[in-house]
Order: sequence, then structure tokens, then C-alpha cells
Amino acid sequence: MSSATNNKKNSDDFSESSNHNAIVVKNLVKNFENIVAVNDLSFDVKEGEIFGLLGPNGAGKTTTIKILSGLLNPTSGTAYVGGYDVTKNPRKVKELIGVCPQQAAIYKFLTGRENIELFGNLHTMDKKELKERTNSLLEAVNFKESERKTKGYSGGMLRQINLLIALINNPKIAFLDEPTVGMDPRARRKTWEFIGSLKEQNKTVILTTHYIEEAEALSDNVAIIDYGELIAYGSPKELMEKYNAKNLEDVFMEITGRRILEGI
Amino acid sequence: MELLKIIREPAYLFLMLLFPAVLTLVFGLAFAGIPSGIPGVSQFEVMAPGLYAYACIFIIMVVAQAFTDDREQGLLERINTTPTSSSEFIASHIISNTIISLMQVVIVIILSYALGFRPDNGLIGFLSAFIFVVFLSITSVGLGLVTASISKSSGTATGLSFIFILPQMFFGTFVPLTSTTRIIAQFLPSYYVTEALTAIFNGAPLTDLNVLFNLGMIIAISIVIIALGILIFKKYGNK
Repeated sequence: MSSATNNKKNSDDFSESSNHNAIVVKNLVKNFENIVAVNDLSFDVKEGEIFGLLGPNGAGKTTTIKILSGLLNPTSGTAYVGGYDVTKNPRKVKELIGVCPQQAAIYKFLTGRENIELFGNLHTMDKKELKERTNSLLEAVNFKESERKTKGYSGGMLRQINLLIALINNPKIAFLDEPTVGMDPRARRKTWEFIGSLKEQNKTVILTTHYIEEAEALSDNVAIIDYGELIAYGSPKELMEKYNAKNLEDVFMEITGRRILEGI
Repeated sequence: MELLKIIREPAYLFLMLLFPAVLTLVFGLAFAGIPSGIPGVSQFEVMAPGLYAYACIFIIMVVAQAFTDDREQGLLERINTTPTSSSEFIASHIISNTIISLMQVVIVIILSYALGFRPDNGLIGFLSAFIFVVFLSITSVGLGLVTASISKSSGTATGLSFIFILPQMFFGTFVPLTSTTRIIAQFLPSYYVTEALTAIFNGAPLTDLNVLFNLGMIIAISIVIIALGILIFKKYGNK
């Protein structure tokens, strides 16, 4: 655990030295009755960075995302998103973010386009801007079935609309919780390209995944968490060098003695 | 959006609009020819005010199902990640479901008229009745919110909504009351609406003291229940 402690210390130093952090998490704790879901978690995410939050199922990834997006209050600790404290200014935070939940949360009686536009309206977007943004997002992923009710969509299509809804408000910070779960390899590759293109638009992306190759391909930095604790932090390359590992999966194996995918 | 759902979902369309229509037709055909004991008045005409109230209380189940469905599918949580507050979201649902409930009443009014129901004070009577059904609809939406808050799934919500629907149906709408059931009915919102509507359709003006008392009661009940529904839903049902 000494490496994890060192990494945590590094992240603390980083948060105090940089003024360009999109997200600052400090000593975050979330308890559900007797269960510690997030345990003294600290990390920072720079503006314009794709940040991978990795860990097996039940590691605390989704709970962390829920706290950062204002859905849950932490038991203790602080979290700043876009410079705003998530517990004190949740509305300001919600104006800056887009959230792609793990479960495709979509109205089945609406078309793909209507779902996207509905959430644009909930972000109080201008009508003209909303139409243009919807068109550009659908074109970006080459989505052809947007005028059809989502009831008949495949799992992969639902996932794509789920992702586009998260980006309709042109968020500065996007939380993508397992965005490619259930997609076939081809759709997954296409989605990776799309997520990669967000970086070119200077968007900060927090990507939670248990697909290690996804995190390696996309992330500038990753935090690996297990049992709610940060156990490694750095760029994929740094971590692989540090632990003399072939990939991040081996890094996790080296630190914990088990595989990330075990819990799935 | 709720209105769009009616158009797009056939099962929902049936539940929301056709069910009250079918019920009115069945009651009309079954009771229009049966004398009520009042000279020149059929049993159906006696039951008609209760049918208007009944059309409103069915929205309890619809609201409870809609909110639990949205919650189960993660939609409520997703909406909570946008700057739209839960109060704004609940308010939009209250407005749209109240409108749907009123549409149901309009269908029942038109059909009952077609089946021969003629209130003593004509259009004024119908318009006066509408004031009451607006408040009963708001009350029913509030009870739907309470049901959604205490239900873990939409299946449970359907069952639990009958806790509020059945007593009102039997003791506060179209079923004739005895001296015992009247005592129970006085605890139910629909009772005050049915009582007022019966008086209005028999020629009483809105300024009649009994009608005003019933109006005051349903207004007070609707305010308390909708406030309670919003509070309970925000605390327990919105997660």
C-alpha cells in the first residue's frame, strides 16, 4: 500500500499547486450505513484531460461520479467541479456537466432525437442551438435511426443515444460511466474515437470503465480504485513503467494480487 | 411529454382516455333505463356526478406508475443531473397530469350528455362542476406522488394506488351511500366533489352554502395533499 499512499500524496501536492483543475477531490468519504463505498479518496483532474477512473465492480466508481455530479452528498471530504463545491453549489455544477449514466436512461416512447432534445431543454438550451447541436452530435457518430422510437433500438444504439444526451449541453466536463458496456467491438471502437475527439474540443472527460484497453487507449491519467480507496494514480505509461507491467490490468494485479475483471 | 406518451403508447391511451369513456358507456347503457325513484330521473343521471369524480381519481394510478417507471429506468436520477430542479420537474408533471385528468372528465361529460344526462342548470352547471374537478384532479395527482414515493416498483405502485382509488370509488363517487358509508366518505376527497356536483346539477348555484362548503373542503384538501405529495416525493421518491 505504500505506492498507493505515495500516489495519494502526489495528487494532494498537485491539487495545491495547479490552478487549472477541472475537478479537485479531497479526502472524500461516502458511507452507506455500515458499508464504506468511498474511503478517503483524493485526486485531481486537469482541464481538457481524459481521466480514467478504474476499478472492479463495487470499487466505488459510480458512487464517486454520483457525488461529483451532485446526486449524492459525501459523508465527509470535499469535491470541486469546475471550481464549484458540489455540496454548496450543485446547480452551478449541473450547468457545467453532462452525465452519461451506466444504465441507458432514455424515454422509450420518444425517438432518439426527441430524447436528446428533451435533455437539451432541461439544460434550458436555445431552440436553434439545440437543433444544431443535436444534428452535429448525430452526424458525429453517424447515427441514422434518430427519427425512430427508441423502443426498437438495439442495446448499442441505446448506448449511443445515452452518450449523446450527456453531451447535448456542450458540457465543459463530461462524466461517462461505463459508456461502452454492451456495445459490440466495432461500435466500441467508434465510440472510443468519438470520446477521443472530445479532448480536441478541450472538454474534460471522466471515464469510468472496467475495460482496461479502453482506459489505456483514451486516458491521459488514470486513478485505480478498489474498495473505495485510491491505489494508483498517474498516466497509463507511468504506471506501467513503475510496476514494470505490460498493461494496466497487470498494474492492478501487481498492487492487489487480483484482476480488475474478476468482479464482473 | 405526458400528452405525447398518450398518443404514442396504445396501452396508456386506453388507460387514460378510453377507460373512463368505456366505463361511462357501460354505466349509461346499464342504468339509463332504470328509474331512480325520483320522478323522471334515471339511475344513470343520479350516478353521473359520481362518474365525473371517478374519472379524476383514476389519475392516481397513472401518476404513481409514471414516476416509478421513470425512477426504475434511471430517468429521475438523470434529470437530477441537469440544472432543472426537482421542484420544476414535479410541477410540470402536476400540470400535465391535471390536464390529462380534466380531459378524462371532458370525455365523461360529453358521453353522459350523449346518453341523455341533462343537468338542471345546463352549461353553467357543467362549468361550475369543472371548478370542482380541477381541485379533485390536483388532489389525485398529489396522492399519485405519495403512492410513487412509497412504492419500490411500478407493479407495487399499481397495487398501492388502489388504497386511494377503491375507497373513493365505493364511498365517494357513483355508489349510493348509506348512513354508515357516509361517515367513511367524509374522510375522502371525492365525497365533497360528488356532493357538490349533485347539488349543482340539481339546480343549486355556486353561491349555495353547501356547495361553497364543499368547494372550501376540496380546495383545502387539494392544497394539503399536493404539498404533502411534493414533500414526500422530494424526500423519498426522487432517488
